[in-house]
Amino acid sequence: MKLPDKRGYFGNFGGKYIPETLSLCLKEVEDSYRKIKKSSRFRKELNHYLSRYAGRPTPLYYARNLSDYLGIKVFLKREDLLHTGAHKINNALGQAVLAKFMGKKRIIAETGAGQHGVAVATVCSLLGFKCDVFMGEEDIRRQRMNVFRMKVLGAKVIPVRSGSRTLKDACSEAFRDWVTNVSSTYYLIGSVIGPHPYPLIVRDFQAVIGKESRSQILKETSKLPDYLVACVGGGSNSLGLFYPFFKDKKVKFIGVEASGLGLNSYNAASLLRGKLGVFQGTRTFVLQDKFGQIQNAHSLAPGLDYPGVGPEHAFYKTIGRARYVAVNDKEAVEGFDMLSRKEGIIPALETSHAIYYLKRMAPKNKNKVFLVCLSGRGDKDLDIVRNFKKSKK
Amino acid sequence: MIKIKDKFRQLQKLNKKAFIAYVPFGFPHPSLSRDIFLTLRDSGVDIIEVGIPFSDPLADGPIIQQASNLALKNGANLPLFFDEFNKIKDTVDIPVAVMSYYNPIYRFGLKKFIKKIKEINIEALMLVDLPLEEAEEYKKSCAEAGIDTIFFITPTTSVERVKRIASLTEGFIYYISVTGITGPKNLQLQNLARKIREIKRITSTPVCVGFGIHTKKQVKSIGRFSDGVVVGSEIVKFIAENYKKKNFLKTLHKHIKTLIP
Repeated sequence: MKLPDKRGYFGNFGGKYIPETLSLCLKEVEDSYRKIKKSSRFRKELNHYLSRYAGRPTPLYYARNLSDYLGIKVFLKREDLLHTGAHKINNALGQAVLAKFMGKKRIIAETGAGQHGVAVATVCSLLGFKCDVFMGEEDIRRQRMNVFRMKVLGAKVIPVRSGSRTLKDACSEAFRDWVTNVSSTYYLIGSVIGPHPYPLIVRDFQAVIGKESRSQILKETSKLPDYLVACVGGGSNSLGLFYPFFKDKKVKFIGVEASGLGLNSYNAASLLRGKLGVFQGTRTFVLQDKFGQIQNAHSLAPGLDYPGVGPEHAFYKTIGRARYVAVNDKEAVEGFDMLSRKEGIIPALETSHAIYYLKRMAPKNKNKVFLVCLSGRGDKDLDIVRNFKKSKK
Repeated sequence: MIKIKDKFRQLQKLNKKAFIAYVPFGFPHPSLSRDIFLTLRDSGVDIIEVGIPFSDPLADGPIIQQASNLALKNGANLPLFFDEFNKIKDTVDIPVAVMSYYNPIYRFGLKKFIKKIKEINIEALMLVDLPLEEAEEYKKSCAEAGIDTIFFITPTTSVERVKRIASLTEGFIYYISVTGITGPKNLQLQNLARKIREIKRITSTPVCVGFGIHTKKQVKSIGRFSDGVVVGSEIVKFIAENYKKKNFLKTLHKHIKTLIP
């Protein structure tokens, strides 16, 4: 069975819940993607940029100190070493080259913390697109440096003043722009969310993480790992890692959500605390109140701060293929410190959720092999962590 | 209680076009909704389109976004909507259609929702983000309950799609005048007329035009080639600017009258 099906469903999740006005744009993206992804010219160009420009393949690094400390074997897939500092560039390059083949002139994107926005601004500068990035006013205030980075790269950052003025509203605003400027514009979504075909396209472009990891770990240890661990916001780095191992039934998937201030308080754990709903084009688990109004997500890690989650994760959860767990703000900071001190690698706060979870699993899994997606580097989060520590004193 | 179909028949006999007014429920406050809807009826509106406020209205411009937010802030929700409409269901003698995003209804339960609106004499349902690909169960449930399903057609909808949409639509087709969100500034009447004529060649279902209609002049000219118009942002904006003033309902009544030819 190949997923998603023709209608964009992963089992009971996914689909295309969109205003009629968007149906033509989505069909154009879907048809073009199906055609273009097979062309050797496209693959050649994308591979060229992935390797020469972005820095693929990324190393799989055996973290000896951390492994000794925890009593398990930890391999880190070093997506943090990519250009712009996170896995986001894999998808940004893939979709931007697609947009180029489609003949589009302008790219729009939503961004929360600004990581996806920076990746998009980067590839737009590289490939000569006009670039507009929608960002919630609240996020602009919290992420001044990334706003400036995007501007330096030549992108325009458009403040979003609707709703909660954060990522979900930036996403809605990007859709509104797209509806209005269909013919010239490509909407480059940053995660495995939104209406079909986006969850499929973003997963495909991120699957390079899992494909490389699989052959690297086989080469290094001659067997598959016991666990794959990755953080889940919208879910693109985790799905990129998990998907190529889907058929390796013995490899267990652990997706780590952000429980923010706690699972019974403000959090971003859509899979653990969300209810089935229809949000921004897809049927999935969504943080919402009893009347179906979407709630604001909270996590110290800005990249996990989204009230929905990719429909394929919802599917993995329902069929039991992946297990989803949660780590709170405080624990994430502990994970952040742990990797920095043991290995000299400062991880992104998002990634720190996955790192911390190793500590929780270690006692019952002595000598087991854990392959972790180190999805991004943590320079961007230094201010947040400093303020967090100050407030706890 | 009158079916939308019959309303259009009545209008046709009088050689008139439908004036459809959109206002979100609970805006500006749930306690004002009943009076606002009764005022719309008294001002000569033919069909009322009542919006269910949603936190993330993807297809709406700033005016309706703000109105939805205010309604939610002031406590608008589905149970309150059912209660308030129940109180006026026998007084409102024109058809009422509900316009909503899917999630509040999905959360409530589609079948349960349809049963509820049937009880309060609502004639039709239109779901902004439920395109025809996802509409099978919805269409079936509405048909069983005798609720009309209104679908949208836009300038970018292909002829093939127009045919499929027309076959699922009951009541009237909602033609969105522009590729964009609610409340646009410029309408190009010539293109619009051509598009509507194309659709009318395909289906005998009435076609009404919405998005970007602000003046009586527009209402009149669009009425020449369509079966009616939907006015939304214009009325919502008027309410937002005037509801705190004295004699608000009277001025609303007058304002609606200035929009109807």
